[in-house]
Amino acid sequence: MTLLQAEHLTVNRGGQEILSDVCVSFEATGSTAIIGPNGAGKSTLLKSLAGVLTPTAGRVLFGGKDIAGLSGAARARAIGYLPQQFQPYWDLSVADLVRLGAERGQKKSGGDIDSIVAGFELTNMSKRRWSTLSGGEGSRVLLAMVLASDPSVLLADEPGASLDVRHRIALVQGLLRRSSKSASIVVMHDLDLAFRFFDRILLLNGRRIVADAPPRELIDDRCLDEAFGIQFERLETAHGPLLRAI
Amino acid sequence: MLFGAVLLAACAGNEWASPADLGRALSGDQTMWSLLLIRWRLPRVLAAALVGTLLGASGAVFQGVFRNPLAEPYLLGSAGGAALGSTVALLVPLGVSQALSLPLLAFVGAWGSTGVVLAVSRVAGAVDAAGMLLAGVAVAAVLGALRSYLMLALSNEAVSLQAVLSWVLGGVQTPTWTALAMFALIAAGCIALTMPLARGLDLIGLGEIMATGFGLSVRRFIALAVVVASLSVAAAVALGGLIAFVGLAAPHIARWLVGPLHQRLLPAAALVGASLVTLADAVARAALPPAEIPLGLVTALVGGPFFILLLARKRRS
Repeated sequence: MTLLQAEHLTVNRGGQEILSDVCVSFEATGSTAIIGPNGAGKSTLLKSLAGVLTPTAGRVLFGGKDIAGLSGAARARAIGYLPQQFQPYWDLSVADLVRLGAERGQKKSGGDIDSIVAGFELTNMSKRRWSTLSGGEGSRVLLAMVLASDPSVLLADEPGASLDVRHRIALVQGLLRRSSKSASIVVMHDLDLAFRFFDRILLLNGRRIVADAPPRELIDDRCLDEAFGIQFERLETAHGPLLRAI
Repeated sequence: MLFGAVLLAACAGNEWASPADLGRALSGDQTMWSLLLIRWRLPRVLAAALVGTLLGASGAVFQGVFRNPLAEPYLLGSAGGAALGSTVALLVPLGVSQALSLPLLAFVGAWGSTGVVLAVSRVAGAVDAAGMLLAGVAVAAVLGALRSYLMLALSNEAVSLQAVLSWVLGGVQTPTWTALAMFALIAAGCIALTMPLARGLDLIGLGEIMATGFGLSVRRFIALAVVVASLSVAAAVALGGLIAFVGLAAPHIARWLVGPLHQRLLPAAALVGASLVTLADAVARAALPPAEIPLGLVTALVGGPFFILLLARKRRS
């Protein structure tokens, strides 16, 4: 069943077209990686799907309803958007940050924040302030904030781009853990992880989707080389095929 | 803390009173001294506390909205507008009592100029924090020029510049008990409007994109918060003139005491602001009897170094 759908999305900013007539739909479960060169429109597509950016033309449907017609509260609870960069201005504690995520879009406060914090295995750092967290800890807290309201879609923009490979893998696995019961759509720069962990790959280039296929099918397609403006060598490894730039 | 400040301030003055004197005055004693305390000193002390409450709370809102530690209540033109309004009230013969026209015009000037700032930033298509700050600076410059012109053109021996100057330097008027009750109602209304902003201020502190993702309509919220906070500032200005520094310092001190979440920060900043203004007003009345130092000078002269001291200790620890 289709949960999230973009219809003829076009986004202009400062007289420039960033996305051009993009149509795509996502099921209620499964994981999708959005890949493509810089400036292809990946982040803009993700923000439009999340409803934090209003498209110039076209619309986004969530559960068949125009997302622009949803209240901010309803949208915020149903859709988890994890931005590329996050730097809170006030030095809040981990528990307070998770609380803001868990209570978003709700009038009432309360609820058992401790058990939510425990669910993300953050109990031992719940009283620490944001400024004391390492990069890996910070990205786990951010993910917990976004997932704390148990959204039916997670949209993540290059999570863990600045992390070392072990933490990046742990983070990607963390956000895909829910993809058996909800949808995860993730902008990925790391092609290795994109082809290894995701069910479906969207390739964006020049403001459009140029390929939409499972990783096994896409990996041999020459459109990858064309999109990134580079030649890839396809290597067979024990863990599946691997792309290497040459 | 606030209670202690009020008690101390009620005792302090041209002539010091003991807490026992206060107790007698409050229990209906009819001596001259008790009547003086009841009629003059207590309303003044309570008015100072109310002004400080409004400045502290609105300062916290401004710092939250603009996510800037230097933000303060007079940021968006309200100081310039209030000063212009008071100059008009003091220098232009309006045919109404100044006791009425002064607070009224100061209020109108303070709120009106913030309205102008909002309108300018909207017309300029810059309804974000930076756009509003820039519009605020521009509007303040225009208002300042207008006021200087009025002062040059209208002052003569009969209406002195000193009256204008001393108003701008801040000083809590001594209200009648009726006026005080009215002002207390207005202040309570302002605080009641301010408290529901707490969650939005928390969210906007996560950054505008994250706040949007968490369901906050950022532009609408900023405009709402600015309008509500400016209402508090205008009310404070009408009764207390321009009191430097309290709206800047109170939220910082409150943040050290209760942390950055606004549900607790807003009331704490209000209480700290009330304590600061009450104490400063006591100093203003008691330091150089029988003269009275302008309150704004006390808050800046005493408050400035005190705040730097706190800041240094906090940074080192």
